[in-house]
Amino acid sequence: MNNWEYAESIESEKIVKIEKKYGHFINGEFVSPNSKKYLDTISPSSEEVLSSISIGNEKDVDFAVNAAKEGLKQWSKTSPSERSKYLFKLARLIQERSREFAVLESLDGGKPIKESRDFDLPQVAQNFFYYAGWADKIDLAWGSGISKPYGVVGQIIPWNFPLLMLSWKVAPALATGNTVVLKPAETTPLTALLFAELCDEVGLPKGVFNLITGDGTTGSELVNHKDIKKIAFTGSTSVGKYIQKSLAGRDVGLTLELGGKAANIVYNDAALDEAVEGVVNGIFFNQGHVCCAGSRLLVQEDIHDVFINKLEKRMQTLRVGNPLDKNTDIGAINSKDQLDKITDLVNEGVSDGGELFQIECELPKNGFWFKPSLFTGVQANYKIATEEIFGPVLTTLTFRTPDEAVEIANNTEYGLSAGIWTEKGSKILWTADRLDAGVIWANTFNKFDPASPFGGYKESGFGREGGRHGLLSYLKASS
Amino acid sequence: MTEVKKTYKHYVDGKFVRSESGKVYAIDLKKEKYEIPLTSKKDLRDAVTSSKAGFAKWNSLTMYNKSQILYRLSEMIEGNKESYIALLQQHGLTKNDSKNDVEDAVNTIIWYAGIVDKWEQLTGNLNPVAGEYFNISHQEPIGVTFSLSSDDISLNSLVKSFLPAMSVGCSVISFTNQNAVLALKLSEDINNSDFPSGSLNILTGNFENIVEDVGAHVEIRLAAIYSNISNDLLETLDVKGSDSVKRIVNLPSDEGLGSIIPFVETKTVWHPKGQ
Repeated sequence: MNNWEYAESIESEKIVKIEKKYGHFINGEFVSPNSKKYLDTISPSSEEVLSSISIGNEKDVDFAVNAAKEGLKQWSKTSPSERSKYLFKLARLIQERSREFAVLESLDGGKPIKESRDFDLPQVAQNFFYYAGWADKIDLAWGSGISKPYGVVGQIIPWNFPLLMLSWKVAPALATGNTVVLKPAETTPLTALLFAELCDEVGLPKGVFNLITGDGTTGSELVNHKDIKKIAFTGSTSVGKYIQKSLAGRDVGLTLELGGKAANIVYNDAALDEAVEGVVNGIFFNQGHVCCAGSRLLVQEDIHDVFINKLEKRMQTLRVGNPLDKNTDIGAINSKDQLDKITDLVNEGVSDGGELFQIECELPKNGFWFKPSLFTGVQANYKIATEEIFGPVLTTLTFRTPDEAVEIANNTEYGLSAGIWTEKGSKILWTADRLDAGVIWANTFNKFDPASPFGGYKESGFGREGGRHGLLSYLKASS
Repeated sequence: MTEVKKTYKHYVDGKFVRSESGKVYAIDLKKEKYEIPLTSKKDLRDAVTSSKAGFAKWNSLTMYNKSQILYRLSEMIEGNKESYIALLQQHGLTKNDSKNDVEDAVNTIIWYAGIVDKWEQLTGNLNPVAGEYFNISHQEPIGVTFSLSSDDISLNSLVKSFLPAMSVGCSVISFTNQNAVLALKLSEDINNSDFPSGSLNILTGNFENIVEDVGAHVEIRLAAIYSNISNDLLETLDVKGSDSVKRIVNLPSDEGLGSIIPFVETKTVWHPKGQ
């Protein structure tokens, strides 16, 4: 194939300073864990140990929640315009140190530097900037009847967009007057720990933002803490259901942003080359570790062969490798566990009878990698067509009519996102009206903006993040 | 002459039906004692089937049409006002309280009839994204809704437990225990207001008997609890509902925009701008 030779262009790691060991960030300072237990966080592209982070136990969580309760006293006395200014300052500081954050994100999580630098970090800063401006206008958003904060909010975020998910959670929560205990994912805690330093730097009142690191047991302690008034979770549908069950019968607010198996529908009257780009971006962005990834390609039967041909050709130009190389399109799979899951599902797809295409490329020796993959000849009941793979694997199904496309697209318990490719405007609107999905991209895919609400239908969760609607996730209706 | 006494039945799929179980429970009013159908698990499942089809029909009507059907309900109640007042008095309310309650109910229905073609202008908006995209967030009804109404003897409370969901396009299975006679009387006016069959079903009985099924039935997308239920019942509902990430709203707001927000999903659509 026509793989051009590129000279390496490696972003320097020198800009980041990683401590050997981190405590929790509680009440405005880093503290050693009561548990006295730590776990290593590694770089998934080299398997090198980057640092050790604390594992929060019941007492650590209790300490953090109490700090947030104390912080709430101060934060609720802070005027909305002052709250706004803290968030604006955080946005500015993130912009100033964005290169450092981007390198750290790519090191700890494995995503290509061009994505952490050009996508994650600009979005993070913009998200704080956007919600900063809401802090002193809450009454205008949904009326004075829906304008009260919950109080202490527990937030649990995933490893695919570590700092971006932090910003989606923390910025609206603080803008609406809540205080936060955040738990980042165990494999990607480092940018959140650096963010904690910024909170100290901008002089955010103590206890307003608290960070507790650890694994699933830590998250579970947070969910079950008696003084938490609201839980916001982004992650898998199975964990989301577990959290919903854990909160049964308790007066605790809950928003869930869970899994997806998005259909990316390509009609035969689409601009095919643009659609190919969109489909590639839809599934291979961030190694496919994206809950809203366009993981089911629904292509109209009469253009199947020509489309797949173009798609395979385009896929072959993807560059897999060192996340810190500015040429890299596909970085490392986030963890060994995730790599095993992807591998198992792909193997099952092959044994079920799916036809697998993988690009020809050399994978680095160390670290966790998976070749961009495309399945054709798939039946709708194969696991690869129904289960979220959360990796660089695209599954193709075909349809004959728009009605059939909608039926296949909706034939899933998920309902997070969907894509539509056609040059015909009325068909876009007709299709969009019928898809059970919270975010629909027409003639584009995987676009995000702090002003644009994001969240799912059905078992993809409830509540929205982003935009005016995102405020509702942190406000209570007072009756 | 002997007075003819009415037999009250469930209202499901636009028909008046008995419980398939044949079971009843008694509601003792001042003059009369009524035997009310006691909802079984099978009755609930049948109602969900009807409600699913009813949702498709109700949701496909234009907002203008839905608005007129709700308004029609207020007209029907107005016409039968005296009989509602008499029935409320039978429940022990004073004449004055009964009259006020019926008038409040009519006003509530008119408020919701009037917001059907407007709420989306209050909940949806264009999003000013940083790029050349048309990006709009609008709302859709969540779908089949189960609503447990308050046990206050009140026509107004009763209509407030299904109007928020109906006004955004959801179909509703309205369930009541103590308000059963009132609810089943209301179903006669509902039947005369041109609601598509299945869009609003009315069941009566003991919530405890069906709580697990309400939680576990995946076709029920949302359960709204307007009644103060025990923590055990709420926990059971939540636990069963979590298996399908069901939306469960305990004591939702029953007025204003806040009353309808739980029943909508926000859909955001992006499209690039270009030449």
